[in-house]
Amino acid sequence: MSQAFTKAMARNIFYGGSVFFLLLFLALTFDTESALPGRDNRENITETVAHGKRLWEENNCIGCHTLLGEGAYYAPELGNAYIRLGGKEGIKGFIMSRPKDGIPGRRSMPQFNFNDEQLEALAEFLKYVSEINTANWPPNIQG
Amino acid sequence: MQYQSQAVAKPYFVAAIGLFVGQILFGLIIGLQYVVGDFLFPEIPFNVARMVHTNLLIVWLLFGFMGASYYLVPEESERELFSPKLAIITFWVFLVAGALTVLGYLLVPYATLAEMTGNELLPTMGREFLEQPTITKIGIVLVALSFVFNIGMTILSGRKTVVSLVLLIGLVGLAVFFLFSFYNPDNLVKDKFYWWWVVHLWVEGVWELILGSILAFVLIKTTGVDREVIEKWLYVIIAMTLITGIIGTGHHYYWIGAPDYWQWWGSVFSALEPIPFFMMTVFAFNMVNRRRRNHPNKATVLWALGTAVMAFLGAGVWGFLHTLSPVNYYTHGSQITAAHGHMAFYGAYVMIVLTMISYAMPMLRGRKAASSNRSQVLEMWSFWLMTVSMVFITLFLTGAGILQVYLQRYGADPQPFMVVQDKIALFYWMREVSGVVFLIGLIAYIASFFVGGSDPEATLEPVEAQA
Amino acid sequence: MACSQGKGPEALAVNQRIDVSDTPVLVQESRYPPGDLALWIFILAELLVFALFFIAYAFTRVKHVELFNQYQATLDRNSALANTLALITASYLVVRAVAAVREGDGQRCARWLWGAVAMGGMFLLIKGGEYAHHLAAGINLSTNTFYMFYLSLTFFHFMHVILGMLILVVLAVKAGQGRYGTADHVDIESGASYWHMVDLVWLVLFPLVYVMR
Repeated sequence: MSQAFTKAMARNIFYGGSVFFLLLFLALTFDTESALPGRDNRENITETVAHGKRLWEENNCIGCHTLLGEGAYYAPELGNAYIRLGGKEGIKGFIMSRPKDGIPGRRSMPQFNFNDEQLEALAEFLKYVSEINTANWPPNIQG
Repeated sequence: MQYQSQAVAKPYFVAAIGLFVGQILFGLIIGLQYVVGDFLFPEIPFNVARMVHTNLLIVWLLFGFMGASYYLVPEESERELFSPKLAIITFWVFLVAGALTVLGYLLVPYATLAEMTGNELLPTMGREFLEQPTITKIGIVLVALSFVFNIGMTILSGRKTVVSLVLLIGLVGLAVFFLFSFYNPDNLVKDKFYWWWVVHLWVEGVWELILGSILAFVLIKTTGVDREVIEKWLYVIIAMTLITGIIGTGHHYYWIGAPDYWQWWGSVFSALEPIPFFMMTVFAFNMVNRRRRNHPNKATVLWALGTAVMAFLGAGVWGFLHTLSPVNYYTHGSQITAAHGHMAFYGAYVMIVLTMISYAMPMLRGRKAASSNRSQVLEMWSFWLMTVSMVFITLFLTGAGILQVYLQRYGADPQPFMVVQDKIALFYWMREVSGVVFLIGLIAYIASFFVGGSDPEATLEPVEAQA
Repeated sequence: MACSQGKGPEALAVNQRIDVSDTPVLVQESRYPPGDLALWIFILAELLVFALFFIAYAFTRVKHVELFNQYQATLDRNSALANTLALITASYLVVRAVAAVREGDGQRCARWLWGAVAMGGMFLLIKGGEYAHHLAAGINLSTNTFYMFYLSLTFFHFMHVILGMLILVVLAVKAGQGRYGTADHVDIESGASYWHMVDLVWLVLFPLVYVMR
């Protein structure tokens, strides 16, 4: 009785297929890298924006919020917060106004006690994010 | 136990289970915070409890993979582990580093932890699942290198089987892709693009190779089906995994600023990602049906079959439901994502680790092949409690997600996030109740290691005559 | 592999194994489909992916008829026709190769295979020329939806032609070394099946993308 298929053929398909698709993925990545400058708003990555991204990370904002839909689902999407909250002032105002002991019974955002420079950096960062070409995502202002 | 050095797997398994308990306790905390918003605020804010929950998950699964490897590789390679001592040292380094990191999360504000650990020298903190301080990440790389070295040396100097080679490829891939966690550019789009080279290429890539090889090992041992057949199918399954999953990475590139063509490439290939999981299910049931022995460890066979089914449902089906870009446009970053994530991780990775522990632990504790009937029965109860409650968690989150998407993303009058969260609170309460049942299942699971210890082990039945 | 079969009055006991390993196998068991089944699973998966892409193309075209017609006109149909002829010829040569090895002539089989490889190489050259032309004009995957589909479909296929050629090269070398004969040429059939799939995909792609308006 001969086999319908051999382990050797299965092995060849695994190695061949994996290498093939790895190469294809690298080709698409290469194309993506060359297409990004027109979409990722990199021309607006200033020192301040970079500082804002660092603050975003050091305070783990992603631990409650989503940014471009990625993160935690406890608090609102912030990719379009610049638009939804009414610009930089709206963003800063919201962050500054968080009560340090939270709102009784409600999901609460910590009070981070940011100084003016940090608030400016965070607001600039969120402005930069809101201008990235995300193929029209989110579907509406609510995120 | 055929080789003495397989014993090093035991501390890894014990640590894995311990950290699993921690993960679930913190899961219950954040589940409660969803509906009682200020629970433990501000001492343990949601984001801190969440990072403990997710990081514990990843670390205990890694402990599980390592334990599984230390157990199966000597047996497959037909030689003792290259360095049992290195394995034990690595164990303690990993455990202590992990414990310190979790304590760091809990005891100081995250920004302070960043400062204390010198994050500004090479900033890698603050991204989902990669919250670890840079020094912890470096520690993880060293642990991974030591582990892959130990396992690799054992395999390369012994009998090379398909099972051990596929496992090794998976583990090397795991280590290599983790290196992308050190790449954190200012450009948010590039940050996200390469973040997925860690996360997707792990859980929808090389981790599936690890899953496949462990499942194949357990099936060879428990069914007695010819290794040639099982290894052949393992190749087919992992081939389909990488053929679909590599370009399938594109399903994370729809809305993060990457070019629009990813909506096409990602949709087409990720739609096919359920195929390897479907094959795994057919494969597992087929092998068990064609078995040439009735292995006394019935709990293990239950876990193995359960893994295939739940992985297919959680990763395959639930994944498919929100993978096509026209659907994902509305569901991206919603409770649908959480629903899929829970069942996928549980079905594929939690369950394969528990399968391996189920198989190996009795022998690590001195049994010939299985624990006593009493112990197995309790273990099987824990399987059903955890699995069924996870199905309910997933169903409730799916319900929450559908309603959330409809109210917040779809209708003519989209409502604000927080308003919608209030409206779906009932689903969150039901999810939390299911979570408590899950914990009960986990307690039963742990109890199964402590009952029936002095009972005789379940008997080895004679080989069935083949028709 | 030894197996047992009931054979009438002297039927063997059900579990009794016969060792047939020293009985010469004269002819390869004829199976359908020819070639290794694992490869057929792979071929079907590939066809599924291409089918999904073709359907996606068709649906998208319906929504952007003007755009697709406009940019389709910029494609070089003559090159595509030449490519079609190259691939069909290659498939014909592969058929001859399989026939040759079935008769036990490994050398002739190898020569036919090398011919097919040469035809494949011609495809790559012509298509490569088209790509160079597009690149010089600044066209890439993000230029517009038509070009996204055109470049994706043809490049994905292009890579399959390369893979197909690699397979044929390996088979040609081994056939030339006398590794295949009448009794065992499953690999040749497998490789031939894969090549025919690559050809078939082009036969759908060419009219769909280059011709149909």
